[in-house]
Amino acid sequence: MSLIIKDLYARVKDGAQILNGVSLEIPKGEVHAIMGPNGSGKSTLSKVLCGHPDYEVISGTAELDGQDIFAMTVDERSRAGLFLAFQYPVEVPGVSNANFLRAALQARLPKGEELDAVSFYKTMRSTMTKLGMDTKFTARSVNEGFSGGEKKRNDILQMMMLEPTYAILDETDSGLDVDALRIVSDGVNAMRAPYRSFMIITHYKRLLDYIKPDVVHVLYKGRIERTGGYELVESIEQNGFDFLKTEE
Amino acid sequence: MSMEEAFALAEAEAKLQQALAEGKQRFENAVVPNRYNEDWRFGRPNKYAAALVELLQSDTASSGKAEVKNAGDAAMVVTRDDDDLRQTEMLMPSIGSDALLGMHLKRFGSGYALFIEKSISEPIHIYYSTGGLYTPSTFIMVAPGVKAEVIEHHAADTPEATMFVTRNIHVAEGSELSVSLHSSGFSRYMCITDIQNMGGKVHHLTTHDNTLWTREETVAEIYAGTESTCNNLYSANRPAGESILDQHTRQIHHVGGAASDLLYKNVVDDNATAIFAGNIYVATGAHHTDAYQSNRNMLLSEKATIHSLPGLEILADKVRCSHGSASAPMDDEQLFYMCSRGIPRREAQLLVAEGFLAEVINKFRALSQSS
Repeated sequence: MSLIIKDLYARVKDGAQILNGVSLEIPKGEVHAIMGPNGSGKSTLSKVLCGHPDYEVISGTAELDGQDIFAMTVDERSRAGLFLAFQYPVEVPGVSNANFLRAALQARLPKGEELDAVSFYKTMRSTMTKLGMDTKFTARSVNEGFSGGEKKRNDILQMMMLEPTYAILDETDSGLDVDALRIVSDGVNAMRAPYRSFMIITHYKRLLDYIKPDVVHVLYKGRIERTGGYELVESIEQNGFDFLKTEE
Repeated sequence: MSMEEAFALAEAEAKLQQALAEGKQRFENAVVPNRYNEDWRFGRPNKYAAALVELLQSDTASSGKAEVKNAGDAAMVVTRDDDDLRQTEMLMPSIGSDALLGMHLKRFGSGYALFIEKSISEPIHIYYSTGGLYTPSTFIMVAPGVKAEVIEHHAADTPEATMFVTRNIHVAEGSELSVSLHSSGFSRYMCITDIQNMGGKVHHLTTHDNTLWTREETVAEIYAGTESTCNNLYSANRPAGESILDQHTRQIHHVGGAASDLLYKNVVDDNATAIFAGNIYVATGAHHTDAYQSNRNMLLSEKATIHSLPGLEILADKVRCSHGSASAPMDDEQLFYMCSRGIPRREAQLLVAEGFLAEVINKFRALSQSS
């Protein structure tokens, strides 16, 4: 059981082609890091997988435990187990965090079954406490007026509440201070399980020191150019991405 | 009674008689709404107002249920022979609907008058409902220093029902009134409101749901006041289907030093149309007025239509007045974000729409609770 991407080509709608044949397999239970220089297509890959309307798939396939991801709507992909922690989480004025998460969890229940409100709030509050979030944020509008770090924590809160089987973290470390990074990383590590995988997009070794990846990929010009272990992270930290250019 | 008092009384009586005579003249000369009338622009008067005129001029009797709760001894049933209340209605302003107001006057004689003389902790509820044609009048008079909340519920018993309501709200010095109006389910619904603020605070909310044609005219006047005097006008609606929501407002500052605020928000779906035409009027010499007006609309459908006409008419110096209008489709990024958490698209749209309108409701609630 895996997330399998085969020969994926995608572009911005009516615009530039960004992904040029990405192939990748993330088996259940593993953490894969995606690194690469700016503009190499990391965020595009995450958005294409989640069905962002600004992008279109030209060719290629992506399967989630054998299900064709691209045949599903955005919400179906989420309910099938896919989660994206956004690089820039969106503000939704007027919709409280609690109502938002309730709606998301309710959508996962069989028709006619109601979410248990008491246990929902209990879980939400305890998860917020784990993430060092003030429980007043339950009543705050989703991400509205949040600092950059608070938004990132809020996305991780959503991930912990929704318990996806495949989670993509798109530069979750940007905007987080050292303490917040450790708290968020602890949250992710606590979720590591044989039935769950992570795709962690980052520019920095720091996050991967906290969340040790099983596999590291380097994305460059819309393709996976290198795959290796943690030593690849250390090499990039010391030497940058120049090796990609010399290989051209 | 002294000679001076007698003269003053006679003068007041003469002024009233003159006003009433002018009032009658006004109705006799009034033109039935048509599309050449600026106040009926975009509102399709030839179709909807004409149908209302025809119904009001017909033999169809006005009939409906009226009920009041929590009013104690403050409530009085409006009767046909109550000249004081009839004269109040006769003098109330409309926004391009004098002819219709004249027709309402001919059917005068139902509804409730509230004379609120002491502060109340629980809201007073007024209920009007009908399955046919109903033309009630509401009068709310709040005594000096009194705080109160009134909630009006106007409901249709059948989808064919028509209601045409007039509302006169008089708030005395130092008083505070929160008043909300919720109408629902009519074929045609019209409401003309006049708020006369003599130095108090008024928080006014309207919501209109599930009605084919709604016409709301709200005139909020400040006749006396200090820095704390204010009229706050709010409205939140979700017209859908083929419905038309036609809202007109006037924030009139006869004297300076007071404030008024307006926030009208609509989420417009399907083939529905929302019209907003508002005006802030600051009279000559009404310095230090602080007035704001904002109309915001969200479109849920490519076929939905919005006409937004905010306006200012300022005849005084040293004022702070501004207005704004913005209409746009729902933000795709917000929708994607919500759907990416597993919320189905339609449900996500409704949540975002509710959130958009929540600002209005929350603003009103915050003011109501603080009062």
